[in-house]
Amino acid sequence: MSQSSLPLDRAKAPGGAVALFTALGRSTVAMLVLSGIVFLALWQVVSMNVPPVILPAPAAVFTAFIQLTASGELVMATLATIWPFVIGLSLGFIVGTVLGLLLGIFRPAARVLDPYIFVGWSIPNIAWLPLFIAWFGVGNLTLIIFVFISAVFPQLLTVEAGARDADSFLVEVARSLGGTKREILYSVVLPSSLPYIIAGLRIAVGRALVGIIVGQLLIVATGIGYMFQFYGETLSLAKYFAPLIVVAVLAILLNRGVNWAERIFIPWKIRAFT
Amino acid sequence: MRALDFVKVRKSYVSPAGAPLVALEDFTWTVDRGRFVTVVGPSGCGKTTLLRMAAGLMPPDDGGAIRIDGELLVAPSPKMSMVFQGIGLMPWKSIFDNVALGLQLQAHRPKLSGEERERIAATLALVGLTGFERYYPHQLSGGMQQRVGLARALVRQPEILLMDEPFGALDAQTRTVLQDELLSLWDRVKSTVLFITHDLDEAIYLSDCVVIMSRRPGRIKQVLEVNLPRPRYGYDARAEPEFARLRNIAWQSIKEEL
Repeated sequence: MSQSSLPLDRAKAPGGAVALFTALGRSTVAMLVLSGIVFLALWQVVSMNVPPVILPAPAAVFTAFIQLTASGELVMATLATIWPFVIGLSLGFIVGTVLGLLLGIFRPAARVLDPYIFVGWSIPNIAWLPLFIAWFGVGNLTLIIFVFISAVFPQLLTVEAGARDADSFLVEVARSLGGTKREILYSVVLPSSLPYIIAGLRIAVGRALVGIIVGQLLIVATGIGYMFQFYGETLSLAKYFAPLIVVAVLAILLNRGVNWAERIFIPWKIRAFT
Repeated sequence: MRALDFVKVRKSYVSPAGAPLVALEDFTWTVDRGRFVTVVGPSGCGKTTLLRMAAGLMPPDDGGAIRIDGELLVAPSPKMSMVFQGIGLMPWKSIFDNVALGLQLQAHRPKLSGEERERIAATLALVGLTGFERYYPHQLSGGMQQRVGLARALVRQPEILLMDEPFGALDAQTRTVLQDELLSLWDRVKSTVLFITHDLDEAIYLSDCVVIMSRRPGRIKQVLEVNLPRPRYGYDARAEPEFARLRNIAWQSIKEEL
């Protein structure tokens, strides 16, 4: 008995390490914690070897974050960022989805409008800004319109492609069952556009987030965008990281929200990779 | 009693090079009520074109006509149901809702009555899918999906069932099982069936009558009456000498067209 257990014992040491890594690989939370520790450690090591004006230490950033939160500055800036973001993104999402569906379905209209939309989409957002400021002044209205423009084009183009390319075989099946044009629209074209509506939203959210930060930086001098400018120009790097963390957290939460919407609205979607 | 009449049906397309391409030529044939008729032929002989025209999905060329119960067919008819090789279930609809769609588009009414709900449940039971009502298509095997396709067609209580290689994409075992299930369903619903396949065994096993097509432009080449007793799933019909004899005739005929 003891003889036969000997080789097993010998195999245990490396086997144990392998088993540990395998278990870590299976647990997403453990992987995230581990990668966070490695990231912070690397940051610490680098910050110890460069001046704080190049890269502040994690602890300094943490302290600055707490200070800015306690003083209310960060909270106010975040709120001042969220509401125009939500309004601009919502409008962009609604208008983009509705227009995208209409243009995907009524192709003659799309053939007339598509060139304008393509040009609108191709012009860098930032190039609109002087025009918007001239038209709408310096204020939140211009900011909201800027966010709206950032979100509406990706939403519109993605949804239009989805509605236009509705599975022609499924359309034929519905037709063979006696479906009228209107019925085919409701029973095939609109549902098959849903994944594209969500895919458009994913891009629109990212674009709108860039839009709000750039907009605050260049138009209204408020919110998170202005914090970037202020602490960047005054070289208060530890404080500069606080709005960065807010944007990162916002981006993660928004992405989670889109994932959630995807699960709710398109439960039939088959994923190739999980 | 005539269920489906084809009179001088012809269909030509314009090829990508711009030349006219005749898929089907001078197809005249009558399918009598309650018969199971199969059309076989080499690929490109226009059999799918024929079925799509019968479904009202596209018109024949001028001069030809298709009639159901004597009425000229101009659009998909509520008296018919079609079953596709690609099945064509809506991936966002549950199994129940996919079958319901067959009724909703037939009646042009999205709301289902209690009687219709019962009919859907009964049809799902008929194809052996009770308990799968809330599943989505991608959660079912290919064979089960085609059972849903059959249920969506049958729930409409069609006079005429059009089937375009419905078992073509399935594995051999599933195909054999579904052939028997189709025959047993047909014994109960007694629709007229127009079936397309390129599988001669399948054609002979299922049908009262096998129409053999020539290569493109497809014309009727030969018609075989199959008089094997029914129900054929009740004995080993494929082992009968008559089955082998018909199969041999059909094969000799098709071989010249390949």
